[in-house]
Amino acid sequence: MAADGGERKKRRQESTAQESAATVNELRALIVRVRDGDERAVPRLREILRKAPELARRFVDPAIQTERIIIESFAGGDGGQVVREVLPRTLEALRIELGGWSPSPLERLLVERIAATWLQLHYFETLYAQNMDEMKIPQGEFHQKRIDRAHRRHLSAVKTLAQIRKMGPAVQINIAEKQVNTTG
Amino acid sequence: MAWEERGGRRYYYRSVHRNGRVVKEYIGTGPLAEATAQLDEAERRKREGEARAWKEERRRMEELEAPIEELCEVGEMFARAALIAAGYRQHNRGQWRLRRGC
Repeated sequence: MAADGGERKKRRQESTAQESAATVNELRALIVRVRDGDERAVPRLREILRKAPELARRFVDPAIQTERIIIESFAGGDGGQVVREVLPRTLEALRIELGGWSPSPLERLLVERIAATWLQLHYFETLYAQNMDEMKIPQGEFHQKRIDRAHRRHLSAVKTLAQIRKMGPAVQINIAEKQVNTTG
Repeated sequence: MAWEERGGRRYYYRSVHRNGRVVKEYIGTGPLAEATAQLDEAERRKREGEARAWKEERRRMEELEAPIEELCEVGEMFARAALIAAGYRQHNRGQWRLRRGC
């Protein structure tokens, strides 16, 4: 019985993941259509955004899982307990500082993105600094490239949140659970 | 690294890179060649172990990168979609501007 339940849960998760991937692909295609001047794509795009809070959560959760794995990797060395205590609190403080106490779903997604990329960058840099002396030249180059990529991702995440904030509440509310017009 | 047998005796050779080519280098025969072959074998195993560890490290790092990359891509896409839904359009793939009438 328990095995059946586990199997059912696994199938449900797979089906949800496929559905999310299909919606994201559709959203990507709609954005391209609008970019190319096809305004007929906008209503369907708005419709998908109304479902966004749930959809966004499906991508935030794996990233939070990854954050936990990174924190565990950090904690592997000396002073592990301190890292396990301090890093989640630092991340939480960062989320509150960037998103406030009740961020919109879009802001939450973008803030989570910043927190995840910040942690990843910090982790890669630490790993590189700790192992630099033992690395061969190709390994060093590989780590450097990975740090550069993480850095670019982090800067891009910060830029996007700033852009959304700059555009004002209309952008944020369009993606919220209840669509409210505050611009009129 | 290889042993070659001729006339009932074993001769040890080593493959080395020289001027961009792989060449066979004669080492010898007897106990000295045996000892050299053992050292070479130990060195080869060490290198293989290091290569496996490096491959494993890369795989682990890629696993850590993938969900965050996906989050970044989805975050970027939602932000773009939200801007479009609010009436903004990207000008020449640069600045986002509010469309007239929005």
